Amino acid sequence: MNLRAATTDVLLGIVPIALLIALWQAISSFGYAPPALLPPPGIVFLRLVQQLLTSTFQQEIAATLFRLFAGFSIAVILGVTIGLAAAASPAINAVVRPIVRVLAPLPKVALYPALLLLLGFGHQSKIMLVAADALFPILLSTYYGASMVEQKLIWSAMAAGTPRGQILFKVVLPAAVPSILTGCRIGLVISCIVVFLAEMITSTDGLGHVLVTAARTFQAVDMFVPLITISLLGLILNGLLEGLRTYLLRGFPEV
Amino acid sequence: MMSGRALLSRSAPWLACLGLLGVWQIGALVLNTDSFPTAWEAVRAIPSILGDKESLINILASLRRMAIGFGVGVMFSIPLGLMMGRSRGVASFFNPLLMVIYPVPKAALMPIIMLWLGVGDVAKTLVIFLGVSLPVIYHSFQGAKAVEEKMLWSGAAMGLSAAQRMIRIVLPAALPEILTGCRTGLVLALITMVTSEMIARQSGAGNILFNALDMGQYDTVYAMIIIIGAMGIGLDAAFEKMRGRLVKWSEPGFDIPLSFA
Repeated sequence: MNLRAATTDVLLGIVPIALLIALWQAISSFGYAPPALLPPPGIVFLRLVQQLLTSTFQQEIAATLFRLFAGFSIAVILGVTIGLAAAASPAINAVVRPIVRVLAPLPKVALYPALLLLLGFGHQSKIMLVAADALFPILLSTYYGASMVEQKLIWSAMAAGTPRGQILFKVVLPAAVPSILTGCRIGLVISCIVVFLAEMITSTDGLGHVLVTAARTFQAVDMFVPLITISLLGLILNGLLEGLRTYLLRGFPEV
Repeated sequence: MMSGRALLSRSAPWLACLGLLGVWQIGALVLNTDSFPTAWEAVRAIPSILGDKESLINILASLRRMAIGFGVGVMFSIPLGLMMGRSRGVASFFNPLLMVIYPVPKAALMPIIMLWLGVGDVAKTLVIFLGVSLPVIYHSFQGAKAVEEKMLWSGAAMGLSAAQRMIRIVLPAALPEILTGCRTGLVLALITMVTSEMIARQSGAGNILFNALDMGQYDTVYAMIIIIGAMGIGLDAAFEKMRGRLVKWSEPGFDIPLSFA
């Protein structure tokens, strides 16, 4: 894609977001909606900037990020390990497959009350919920990535004298990296969503809690702020993962 | 021998269910606390929930909202996704907007939407609609993008108009991918439904769950978890069966859905 086409794409992409904000501004400035229900965008963004500078709000973000990363890391470690193991060994596959089939479509959020009862109202229950939700996309894409590895690659590695035990780490894992990263990307967005929801349902801190507190006191401005923050966090984390991807996949043919 | 193996692979999900319940049972017996009843106690509490008229009406109302939200979401998202897949302009117009919306938890919009539309069915259905739309748009987009150009050219050469090509070539060619999106969307509809009810706490399955938690009726909590879980697994299996009929000619890419909130 040449530079000019890329610029057109970016400009085209900004249009709907700008239109949405313009519509938002129009609705509130022509008085179709009282500011108590829909505060004008200027005030919301001003409040967002103000809040981002206060240390209390930064602590809420830190609490959310901590849970997000802890849950996501558990999901990545478990997902990649189980996915690779299932792809490598038919026996493990026979056990893992039906269990995943049952657990993957299960709404994990329904497990949250059970996690609350077992792990308490602190970090642990939320981290576990995030991990449970992010686990399956990562596990599945690792499994598919690893089982799609070309047999020729494995044969050539064996012909070149790679011991059998190392093939998994020297051939299969690197070849599955693109697929694993796709799974991680889905898992990361899910983590963002789930951590926020868990904090909304029961929590004493975090972005979700900020939204719930604002909703209880009907502070519409403060309700938009955490939503915009989580959207920005999602975009930033996605960008970071994208950077990691280009770094890890340098030299891969086409991704 | 072959039929024995087929029987085993067909019953494997059931065995997995039983195995998980077994692990639960043993875990509960080992832990032996009030807040973690055994699987058997939870299963025994299911009939009393489903037998109770009020909770049954609540659960059915939840399911109706979910069906409406899912239906409207699919009707809206498939055409949009297909158009995005076939036209670069449309794609670059909508993609950044969707990327901004993607990490926002849809159920978290519940308090704001309730502020505008009240606590009724409309707000809850709208949230489910939002939750369903994104994966269906995304998969329809991917499906339409992958349609072979040659087929479209031959269609055009045979005198099909742009709209006809869309319906008679792009839609069938993208159908397997679209249905994958719908499958994710279906599970998501259930998740969004439960979550929005947990947050709004007015009525519905999610509300029963958290009311029971507040009142310390732990066997009801776990029985509701089983009911909601069974709904997810059941809906998914039913959809998969239908999908298998509709697109027999195509190999399913992912035979396990990627579900999330």
